[in-house]
Amino acid sequence: MSENTNPALVLLGINHNTAPIEVRERLAISAERLPDAIRSLSSVPGIREGLILSTCNRVELLTVQDDTSDLLTFLHEYFAVPAATIKPHLYEFREREAVRHLFRVASSLDSMVVGEPQILGQVKESYTVARDVGAINGSSGGGGQLDRLLQSAFTVAKKVRTETHIGSNSVSIASVAVDLARKIFGSLHGKVILMVGAGKMSELAVRHLIGHGASHLILCNRTKQRAERIAAEFARPGVNVEVIPFEDLYDQATRADIVITSTGAKHHIFGRSNGVHFVQRRRGRPMFFIDIAVPRDVDPRMNEVEGCFVYDIDDLSQVAAGHQADRNREAAAAEKIVAHEVARYQDRLKTLGAVPAILALQENAEALRQAELARTAKVLASLTPEQREAVEAMTRSLTNKLLHPQIVALRKPSE
Amino acid sequence: MSLLWLRVAVFLYGIAALAVLPAALYDRPRWRHLAIPATIAGLLFHFVSLTEMLNAAHHSLPVETHETQSLLALLLALAFVLIYARFRALALGIFLLPLAFLLGLLPAFRPGLEADTLPGLSSGWLFLHIALLLAAYAALFVSLVASVLYLIQERRLKSKSLATDRFRLPPLATIDSIALRSLLFGLPCMTAGLLIGSLLAQITYGATYFRDPKILLAFAMWLAYVGMIYIRRHSGLRGRRAVYLSSFVFMVVLCVWAANQLSAVHRFPTP
Repeated sequence: MSENTNPALVLLGINHNTAPIEVRERLAISAERLPDAIRSLSSVPGIREGLILSTCNRVELLTVQDDTSDLLTFLHEYFAVPAATIKPHLYEFREREAVRHLFRVASSLDSMVVGEPQILGQVKESYTVARDVGAINGSSGGGGQLDRLLQSAFTVAKKVRTETHIGSNSVSIASVAVDLARKIFGSLHGKVILMVGAGKMSELAVRHLIGHGASHLILCNRTKQRAERIAAEFARPGVNVEVIPFEDLYDQATRADIVITSTGAKHHIFGRSNGVHFVQRRRGRPMFFIDIAVPRDVDPRMNEVEGCFVYDIDDLSQVAAGHQADRNREAAAAEKIVAHEVARYQDRLKTLGAVPAILALQENAEALRQAELARTAKVLASLTPEQREAVEAMTRSLTNKLLHPQIVALRKPSE
Repeated sequence: MSLLWLRVAVFLYGIAALAVLPAALYDRPRWRHLAIPATIAGLLFHFVSLTEMLNAAHHSLPVETHETQSLLALLLALAFVLIYARFRALALGIFLLPLAFLLGLLPAFRPGLEADTLPGLSSGWLFLHIALLLAAYAALFVSLVASVLYLIQERRLKSKSLATDRFRLPPLATIDSIALRSLLFGLPCMTAGLLIGSLLAQITYGATYFRDPKILLAFAMWLAYVGMIYIRRHSGLRGRRAVYLSSFVFMVVLCVWAANQLSAVHRFPTP
């Protein structure tokens, strides 16, 4: 029965802008539960195709359906959360607006950190699961609206990433530190990090640097036990971790390419003269000091020494803020791409809608042509095979030319 | 015909010199896709032009200023392509490509006079002498440009202005590596070029060629070049002082070039 009505594209969801974490966490779906959730969604009466996107910042249901009223009930029943709790935070988009929202999500324009690269992978993962459980039809043969939509979303996201610099600069302190280190050293492979003191931020920065190829970590802490505990955390194949006593700090520091300091010292640990001495002993090879401590561990005047680059926490934050501003500028260009692609997608959809009518028109014309040829078969019997072929070609060409304006009109997207 | 190919090459260098600006400074891939193929195509046309020019008169040599300029332009464009292939560093093209364009411009529209070989001189050895010395000059210029870029990038990192300006330069380590490696490449070229030149002059002029001002300056240049490499390698000289040192040696090279006007050994009869 429902097959006769026009199915609608509906997107219903909550995200970090509309719902607090208390609500989002009640609707969150783990990767293990996702196939079951999508299967349950697609078994809701009236749902022809369905997909669920669940990340830490959003839960969205994307459906091609006959009726919309069931989606809220589905959320309420599946998650056992009262409808009244969810409803104030819900947003719903239909047709063109749903397409636009999906394109923006996949392009990371709707993310908490605009331009972050993970979201596209998460959308792809949801799509794969939905296809595997049969909640999305293949797009061949005219069906599969979600398949077509998702493929377009991936293309748009890729276009946004290649044509804008939306994701090219880091916006977190730890990744800014990695970016700066790469601007100095190029590749971080084989680089030596010296971590003086300890702290969450400095450990995160070390983790990022090791993730990008740094392979030697020297730990220096006034409390040796603490240094050894951190050493155990970072020990892994391919990473050489070493603990040195605090008294050896100035001798050993020259080995380090990157120094991360976050001690609770009341005065500078590294002065300008230390910088001069280090660079001399390193024969001019540069050193990068990341000073996360407050009060600062590194005398800012060390930055004047040729070969020494000193960034404190404010400098890193400023770079991150500058990058964020860059991303916002790029986001404006990305929005234009998305708007253009939404219009193109809608036009393509309209063209696809005309396919059955075009096929019917062509079949009808072909039947008429065959009928007319059959009617004159006796007259044409005296023709040679070449002449008969010429008549066939002429009638086919005539039919095509007569149909052409009508087919063009059908394919033309309406205003 | 060789002039036509040279004009095409110079036109392509001009396009590449313009395209490399947005490609290198703003990291725009579309412009990079124009700059690199244009340079490679320019190099091919330039090479064909040079080969035709040398073959046309069999024993003719690029000793006239215009031809040596043209050969230097080819070497600079080649250096840019090789550096891009090895280091993916486009920024050097901002300096190298306009210079290649300007050096090629004059010979492309006002050809010089090709000289006949002096009796008893092997034109192959003479060509090698010229080509090796020009390669050493090109290497020195690349090193100077890389040192300047190092200084710019170092200043940007120190001033912490990376977040606000949108220029993209290669990492310091990459620029430093380009500067040093181009010097190391230039040294054997210069040594071999001078040795070949000395042997040829010894055969032609005898020991008197040592009193030629150009020859004396050329040996001073070689010493300065070796001294610069020694200092850079052993004291790890980088940044501002490396630029000063490179500039000094480059000035010596310019003097050597200019000294052609004073040199009896470097005057060739024209047809």
